[in-house]
Amino acid sequence: MVNLPTARQTTRETMEDTQTQAATARPAAPTDSTPADAVMRVEGLNVYYGDFLAVKDVTLRFARHEITALIGPSGCGKSTVLRSLNRMNDLIPNARVEGAVFFNDQDIYDPDVDPVEVRRRVGMVFQKPNPFPKSIYENVAWGARINGFKGKRGELDDLVERALRQAALWDEVKDKLHESGYSLSGGQQQRLCIARALAPNPEVLLMDEPASALDPIATLRIEELMLSLKEQYTIIIVTHNMQQAGRVSDRTAFFSVEVDERGQRTGKLVEFDLTDKLFTQPAMKETEDYITGRFG
Amino acid sequence: MAEIRTAFRQELEDMERTLLGVADKAEQMVQKAVEAFTTGDLDRAEEVIAADESIDETYLDIHNRWMNLMARQQPLAGDLRLMSMLLHVNTTLERMGDQTVNIAKLTRATDGLPRVDAIVERLQEMGDLVRAMIRTVIEAVIRRDADEARLLPAMDEPVDRLNRDMYQEVVKVGHDPRRLEWATKAMMVARALERVGDQVVDIGEQLVFLLTGERVEFNEVGLGGMPHSG
Amino acid sequence: MIVPDVIASYDLVPSLLDPDGFTRRLEEGFAAGRFPDVDIDSVHIEWRNWFNPRFLRTPASSIPEIAGIRTAILGSAWLVLITIGFAVPVGVGAAIYLVEYAKPSRLNDFIQTNIYNLAGVPSIVYGMLGLAILVRALEPVTSGAIFTTGPPPSDNGRTILAAGITLGLLTLPVVIISAQEALTAVPNSLRNAALGLGATRWQMVRSHVLPVAMPGILTGSILAVARAIGETAPLILVGAASFITVDPTGPFSKFTALPIQIFQWTSYPQEEFRNIAAAASLALLVLLLVLNAGAVLLRNRYTRKARW
Repeated sequence: MVNLPTARQTTRETMEDTQTQAATARPAAPTDSTPADAVMRVEGLNVYYGDFLAVKDVTLRFARHEITALIGPSGCGKSTVLRSLNRMNDLIPNARVEGAVFFNDQDIYDPDVDPVEVRRRVGMVFQKPNPFPKSIYENVAWGARINGFKGKRGELDDLVERALRQAALWDEVKDKLHESGYSLSGGQQQRLCIARALAPNPEVLLMDEPASALDPIATLRIEELMLSLKEQYTIIIVTHNMQQAGRVSDRTAFFSVEVDERGQRTGKLVEFDLTDKLFTQPAMKETEDYITGRFG
Repeated sequence: MAEIRTAFRQELEDMERTLLGVADKAEQMVQKAVEAFTTGDLDRAEEVIAADESIDETYLDIHNRWMNLMARQQPLAGDLRLMSMLLHVNTTLERMGDQTVNIAKLTRATDGLPRVDAIVERLQEMGDLVRAMIRTVIEAVIRRDADEARLLPAMDEPVDRLNRDMYQEVVKVGHDPRRLEWATKAMMVARALERVGDQVVDIGEQLVFLLTGERVEFNEVGLGGMPHSG
Repeated sequence: MIVPDVIASYDLVPSLLDPDGFTRRLEEGFAAGRFPDVDIDSVHIEWRNWFNPRFLRTPASSIPEIAGIRTAILGSAWLVLITIGFAVPVGVGAAIYLVEYAKPSRLNDFIQTNIYNLAGVPSIVYGMLGLAILVRALEPVTSGAIFTTGPPPSDNGRTILAAGITLGLLTLPVVIISAQEALTAVPNSLRNAALGLGATRWQMVRSHVLPVAMPGILTGSILAVARAIGETAPLILVGAASFITVDPTGPFSKFTALPIQIFQWTSYPQEEFRNIAAAASLALLVLLLVLNAGAVLLRNRYTRKARW
């Protein structure tokens, strides 16, 4: 039986306890508005689809081992920004990116950088669970294989088990690893997708509304999972569910839509701050209006 | 742009309006209680005690409504701060009512005892000052005016001073046992009024938190003065 | 070898409905003196099916009673092999490129439109293409001359290789289109999932898109090839022999094919040739049925394998 999340306070206290054992020194609770240790940074990002400017001038810093949420109304460009972080936008025919996205201080849009390599370090989980039409084992193992896993069968078994444990799915599937991925429930499938994304051992995990297709209990399990994963990974999540952003994120970026004279809708970043601050005392009126539902 | 969350907004407004009504009632109760004690009017004292019952009922009702709203609406940002203020004010007003009941009970206890005019004057002055503070804070909340709220500590100072100086007046009638008994009870009345003053300042602090997000301490723990209570 | 002399034949329907009627007619004929050289006592009636196992094993002959379709079947078989060997890899490869790799551009739209148009071009035009380019211009290749130092396997370009490639070109557009359909039917979520893990395009296509699209690709390819088997006009132009009794031995052999053989036999005056032409048509239909059934079986097998 999964423990449903208590106040985030408790999670932080537990984190502080384990901090002394952790190899990397993590801040007990983020208090600085702009994180100093940023595993990823976005500077002056503009994304175009053809002539259409989807999102403009975004500058953000994503802190290591934290969960950052991107929220905002539909059309505000939050998913576009997310996809820019692992160059998945490259797959859209007319997409063009201006500005820079830094991963560990390296601009991933530099012409010398291989997008395939970027995606191995920055993984992604999608809105609707999309396991491969293969066995549960194969789903997880494939990611490792294409990333040049050279090891014996036993080592691959260990890797698959590790990933499934991290995704809180191992106990439920350990006796049926060779059954189809589709035989699982929606929530389980999504956890399988998370395990799959973790198999290549990325540093950052991008999640695009990972729980929006799931029922409330499955949603809470995914959230619990996110909280446990951030000890090892950095998580950036797009969500349209503000309560979810409130429950899981350390920092939140609020995006909104700007309409120009021609009626074109372009996304922009309105405010980025610690979640505690943004949700109790936002600096911008636009943020306040959106959060309190004064947006029409 | 269509309005959304109308039920939520409506409920917030209703709760606030109810509480403002309670504050208004509290002001009347202060008036009645001081009058009752200074004139020895037992009937008036009973009115005050009866009025407090309805304040207690309203307290429970508002608390219930608050809990339901919290559970169902997940208020954030400004709404959340408003909820915080409403909860705090609800409790504070209930305690204000209790203080006036204390004064009413003291009226019963001093039935038949001779009054000290100097003390009566002081009590009336304290009563007037406290009532003015209550009216001020009501205005400030209605107009969402933080500056108005910031006037309250200054208005509370004379109340504190009058309370501190009450001791001197009591000592003056130390030779007369019956007057002394009344005077010591009157000192307790003064304390009750001083508490009410602090409670009003507290409400002012809540308003400032709502409007600016800052937590301020208007009250200071000073010599002989009561620390921030309520 | 005893060569039977056909003196009269009887059609299917009357022989089913009125078996004795034939015997009666024969006796009437003898009585009327229509068969002067034949001794009535040495006559016996043998019911025979034109479509029989011997028919399939025997090579062609100018004598209808002993003619068979072996040469034609072998010729068609070789053609099918070469057609598949050419059209399927090239067609599926082209479809994969167009669906998975090509970026939308005016050139690609142009190519796509051309593919659709080519699928509708009459087969005889492909025949002319085969004749001009494969048989004539590329004669050193299609006759096998450039592959050997000695005498070429064939003295001209009218070989199975030329015909096979011609048919391959004919089926290529259809193979491409059906493979494209099968590939675009694969949901994009699968591609995104694979690419998001840091797979190259080819890794994604090979591991995830192709297995899921395979049933559709196979079905489309087999159906396209089945159509090609029945093509006659291009084969005529490319030089299918009208009368050949020697089995084809390799890609550089002279050849004939079932549709050609049928066409030839129907143009002879003797009535018996029409019978064996009918029998050969039956053979062609059975072959088509087998191919289509094979397509369905293969698709079912791959569907079970790919879709869980």
